[in-house]
Amino acid sequence: MAISTEQRAELERTIAAAARFLPAQGPIDAFVAQNTLQGFEDQPFEEAVVRAAWLYESQPFLPESSYRTELSRGRIRIVDLDAVLTAELGPRAAETLAGGRVTLAQLHRALLLHPVRQESDAAVRWTLTESDVIERLRGDLPPHVRHRLLATAGGEREAASDLWHACVEASSRSRPSVIYPTPPVRHRDLILAADPTLDTDALVHPLLIRMVAAFLDQGVAAWPMPGRERGMLHALAGVYGSGVALLEPWSQDVPMRLRRAVAPNAGSGIDVIAAELETLGVPADAWPDYVTRSLVALRGWASMVRQLELRPDRAPVNRLPACLADFLATRLILDRAAVEWASQRLGHPLAATGQRGVNVSGHRLAALWTELRDRYPPQRGAGSLARAFLLHQVSQLLGLTAADIRAQDDNEALSLESAITAFDSITRRRLFHLAYERHHRVEVLDALAAQTPAPAPRLPLVQSVFCIDDRCESMRRHLEEAEPDVETFGTAGFFAVPMYYRGLDDWHAIPLCPIVMRPSHTVTEVPHDDELPHHRFRQSLRRMLGRLRGTVSSGSTTLFRGGVLTALGGAVAAIPLVARVAFPRLASLAARRAADLARRPMNTLLTLERRGEALLSDGTRAGFDVDEMVAIVRRLLEDVGLTSGFARLVAVIGHGSTSLNNPHESAYDCGACGGGRGGPNARAFALMANDSAVRHRLAATGLAIPDSTVFVGGLLDTCTSRVTWFDTERIPASHADDMRRFRASCVAAGALDAQERCRRFDSVPLDISPAEALRRVEERSCDLAQVRPEYGHASNAVCIVGRRRLTRNLFLDRRAFLVSYDPDSDADGSILERTLAAVGPVSSGINLAYLFSRVDPIGYGAGSKLPHNIAGLIGVMDGQASDLRTGLPLQGVEIHEPVRLLMVIDAAPERIMAVLERLPAVRALVVNRWIQLVAWQPHSHSLYVHGSGGFGPYVPESAVIPVVSKSASWYRGRRDHLAPARIALPPPLATPGRNTAP
Amino acid sequence: MNATDQTVLHHVVALLVSWELMAPAVTLGCIGVPALIGRPLPERLTTRLVGAGFTTGFLAALATLTMLAQRGFAPEIVHLGTMFSVGHHAATVDLVADGLSIPYVCFTTGLCALVNAFAGKYLHREPGFTRFFILLTLFGTGMNLMVLAGSIDVLFAGWEFIGISSTLLIGFFHERRNAVNAALRAFGTYRICDVGLLTAGVVVHRAVGSGDFEQLFSGVWPDGRCLVPATTALIVSLLLVFAALGKSAQVPFSGWLPRAMEGPTPSSAIFYGALSIHAGAYLLLRCEPLLDAAPLSRWLLVAIGIGTALHAAVVGSVQTDLKSMLAYASMTQAGIILAEIGMGLRVVALVHVISHAILRSLQILRSPSAMHDRHELAAALGGHPGQSRWSLIRLLPDAVVRGLYQVALERGFEESVVQRWIVRPVVAVLEAASAAERRWVGFIGAEPAADVPPRPDRDGGAS
Repeated sequence: MAISTEQRAELERTIAAAARFLPAQGPIDAFVAQNTLQGFEDQPFEEAVVRAAWLYESQPFLPESSYRTELSRGRIRIVDLDAVLTAELGPRAAETLAGGRVTLAQLHRALLLHPVRQESDAAVRWTLTESDVIERLRGDLPPHVRHRLLATAGGEREAASDLWHACVEASSRSRPSVIYPTPPVRHRDLILAADPTLDTDALVHPLLIRMVAAFLDQGVAAWPMPGRERGMLHALAGVYGSGVALLEPWSQDVPMRLRRAVAPNAGSGIDVIAAELETLGVPADAWPDYVTRSLVALRGWASMVRQLELRPDRAPVNRLPACLADFLATRLILDRAAVEWASQRLGHPLAATGQRGVNVSGHRLAALWTELRDRYPPQRGAGSLARAFLLHQVSQLLGLTAADIRAQDDNEALSLESAITAFDSITRRRLFHLAYERHHRVEVLDALAAQTPAPAPRLPLVQSVFCIDDRCESMRRHLEEAEPDVETFGTAGFFAVPMYYRGLDDWHAIPLCPIVMRPSHTVTEVPHDDELPHHRFRQSLRRMLGRLRGTVSSGSTTLFRGGVLTALGGAVAAIPLVARVAFPRLASLAARRAADLARRPMNTLLTLERRGEALLSDGTRAGFDVDEMVAIVRRLLEDVGLTSGFARLVAVIGHGSTSLNNPHESAYDCGACGGGRGGPNARAFALMANDSAVRHRLAATGLAIPDSTVFVGGLLDTCTSRVTWFDTERIPASHADDMRRFRASCVAAGALDAQERCRRFDSVPLDISPAEALRRVEERSCDLAQVRPEYGHASNAVCIVGRRRLTRNLFLDRRAFLVSYDPDSDADGSILERTLAAVGPVSSGINLAYLFSRVDPIGYGAGSKLPHNIAGLIGVMDGQASDLRTGLPLQGVEIHEPVRLLMVIDAAPERIMAVLERLPAVRALVVNRWIQLVAWQPHSHSLYVHGSGGFGPYVPESAVIPVVSKSASWYRGRRDHLAPARIALPPPLATPGRNTAP
Repeated sequence: MNATDQTVLHHVVALLVSWELMAPAVTLGCIGVPALIGRPLPERLTTRLVGAGFTTGFLAALATLTMLAQRGFAPEIVHLGTMFSVGHHAATVDLVADGLSIPYVCFTTGLCALVNAFAGKYLHREPGFTRFFILLTLFGTGMNLMVLAGSIDVLFAGWEFIGISSTLLIGFFHERRNAVNAALRAFGTYRICDVGLLTAGVVVHRAVGSGDFEQLFSGVWPDGRCLVPATTALIVSLLLVFAALGKSAQVPFSGWLPRAMEGPTPSSAIFYGALSIHAGAYLLLRCEPLLDAAPLSRWLLVAIGIGTALHAAVVGSVQTDLKSMLAYASMTQAGIILAEIGMGLRVVALVHVISHAILRSLQILRSPSAMHDRHELAAALGGHPGQSRWSLIRLLPDAVVRGLYQVALERGFEESVVQRWIVRPVVAVLEAASAAERRWVGFIGAEPAADVPPRPDRDGGAS
């Protein structure tokens, strides 16, 4: 069926709009944590999570029982609940109920502090016969309430039973509510409501998963889908329309319809979608909803198709003509077949066999749709017994006696009851969540308010630039604690060097920059000229070993080669099996040694300078020219506020993470490098900053780097807590000592960092020494059986944009993204603007990805890692035929505290507001409360919290914060998240002999 | 060697063999009883106990192996007791230590010990931690019982332990519908094929008056001689082949294997890569002399084995997820192994089983590394190894290629065939029976219980 151009454009817009609700997660080898609910960012957080929960059938907040546990262990305090309630109710707090005996605030408070049982009539009836609960008062009543209840009655039994009778009378005055919900639009949901055993998705999904997985496969299958270079619909029509057709009863017509969908007169995927929607009988105004829900039903695979459509360059191996419209068209073809089959089972026979005329089928399916929607069952409210039971519990909590209940007139009884029902589970969980966040916020802001800035090291010996990553916080802190003359900075870990990078041992170049950027430069790692012969030897050796390995691993799955291989050589696998499982650390050490024997480490170079102006095949240029390098170096140094007072050694340290047997490995890498490792960027930056031409040009524009300053690049492995250095052979002899000393400091700080991380692992004893901790984290990184190589960003909660001086002596428990920004050198706010433009979405993206994966590990997260199964080298499924699991795995978020990012900016409130006006995306995050924003006035050091009416001053609750002599004495022996503590630092040692400041 | 030495040796072997069997059983009790009374042991203690059980079992098996090797693997029968005996008829509990069972026990307990070490870390903090180890030890007990069995009754008991522990581990994540469906599917297949083993037992008892293997065949493995008439041998061996098809996932009973990859990775490795899938092969290796007397069974076995291997190789080559690919790879080799047994290559088959099991468990255990491995391989080769292994296929006409691809992607339509020709008729009969019963109950006057519909879930499993 042909549709008009306008209709097609309209439908394309509809699909694009629906695609916003798909998880924005690309292939798993470049995992970037982003807001799970990106499609809802234009709505306020509290409303968005509830709407999203409805769309995705997931949870908006943690379960109420979790919050109650937090309440009982003091993580949520009663003051937090009271503050949240006051803010929520405002003037309504004093509204009275039950004839003026209680206020609305009292009711809400009672329901938050005490769990009540909300059960169905049948359950209540069971409870009444099987227990004496209505003849007793609740055990958790405060003494004065209990006293009041007993005052007018003979005894507990009489008071409770009398109250029960009063409640039964009261609730029998009103009828149970009946709600007629908007019926769902998808046939599947309508059919399921009519007959719970008929789930058309259970028919469609296994087949659809097989189809889309085969189409997207990046190299698991030895035999790729024939014809897939022509697109998904064509390939499927070719494969399924090939004449072999023994499908299940419901899918008999699918081959014919697929063939018809690619017939010359059928048009594109969009036309097929339009035709299918027409035939399914969906009225045009329901199309957007229908399309959204059809895509969301298998959202992992749908989102992968979408991501590969938008960014084909991110496909791990094969660029494919992926197209969401084709996927949707396929889905609707299958859906219609399943719906037709199900409708017969429901007693709506369509023509049973033969060619079904589109009109006949469409007419009947439209009738089915309308009829099922008319028949959609209404939801009935609780029956009178259930309501009486609830009222009985609430009355006790409020201290209402039987007489009080009976004294109500009809209106009062009704309003009390509706006040109780209105304060439903979602509302309670929302308030609990706000209180949960509030306690954390108060703890952090109190600590910040009590801060007196540490004196800056006057003559830093080393300056070190890290990624803003929360995991670098501990490394920086331990470095600074041990070496008062070290100054550290934080900036996005691609160090302003966006590039495609191909390492010496890589087979292709990968983008190393934030996911929103497309690099326009390519940098390659090449061997040093002296090493060329060795490099060639090494490469041929690797190729040979690789072929051997490839033959074994792919051959073992085949018939003949596999038979011979497994029968004759399989037993050899016993060696790696025993070694890897029983002695993981030794085995990986031995493997590394063996590899080193074959290919000793060698000196390499980066092709950093521009060589020729010709564009490469992928449209990028090889290397950077001097102007570009100058811009990069200037940009980064300005960003972190390091434009004068250079130390002799400036280290630039990116980060990445190494772990084995972990499909989510790249989720632990650097988000600012698009899920890659930031080492090459750090190395490239150091090379640029050391370049004499660059320095010359910089000096001419007023940024003078003294000749005595040397930059060096490094890579911090956040899993093993070790730093690898690059180009150390180029460090001049004059700086060798500085480098040696700093290296040693990094090793020592790494051991303490490992110790601090180990306290979070349940399986590691708390009294472990730093050296032992280092051994443990190393083992975790190379252990096949380890599903928690590290905890990633699991502790993130705070982002501080400002001078490190303000937080240098603060223990932040690896919970803070630390972004260096100096308000004093940013006259017009332009530096803050570009910093927030990058840091705002990145840090809040990580924060929200963790938040939602923790709140609902099944609905939003990837679930447990244990049944994960790599599909097509692009994602993981649960078991062998499930949706692709997006989000973070349970084992990565289990210790996370789901709180929204608390972003503190070292700038005046007016300055921040002015900057936000220029950054609509970040502004939306702030205004819709996806970020909690706080301004830290640079000179007065007072704090202003952003609320609905703009910034308001923060009044600290407590001026006392713990003071410790070193980090270790605060974290030793404790597993849980820790509150901020001040570290009493020794004063920096000024070494008078040194003169580093220009 | 004099007679006293012989007796001492016999007793030592008896002791060792009993321990091989008891070790997992004792640990099962140690961790199972506390869990049963609601006080499961801490994680570390659990894995240590299970590890100690399997390791000592392994060491005992090694010791037995050396002792037997000195005597040229003459079988040692360990008589544990008699279940009952009536006249000429007796059901004894015998174990046998010979050139087949003892190497096999070394291998199974060793592998279980390794998987235990792996799972101890892998399942850390998992709510079903204790359950997993209970099932693992239950499986170990069943496995050793089957391997050491000296009579078909004991073997059947071990066989059933393996079946039930497999089923429960496939359905380990019982909150997911797919996992439960897959577990039920495996269970159903097992039950159907177990009928073969059970019937074989009955036939054997009827034919020779006891279930002891020494009544059926004699000699030092692998050179056994059949002691029963050809007809009995034919009937029993056909029944045993039928029994083996289910456990070893042979066509037409292979559909459960790829679906079984729903449990935690270590259980998939040990069950469907290594031990469970080869239980059928072991059964046939044990009763191989019967096949000698029944050429028909041999040919049938060869045909099914080769058929399965071809089917699995073609289907496996289009699987796009790691675990399904490995499941079909295992199935391919299991088919070849059964064909080898059918051809009488006993030692080759035994070596193939052990060798294949080790390689495959390593592959499944490291299947989450696939991304890593592929990238490393691509880096070494300077590009991805391409997907053109099936170059021969390019010679075929396009339409044939696409048709063959569809057959492979649809897993040989095994599912729809089984659904259409087996499941649906059975379900129809059962539904008719249930309807009849309801009418009958209604007629008597009792209120029929209402059906509770299952709740649909998101991953929308195959039913």
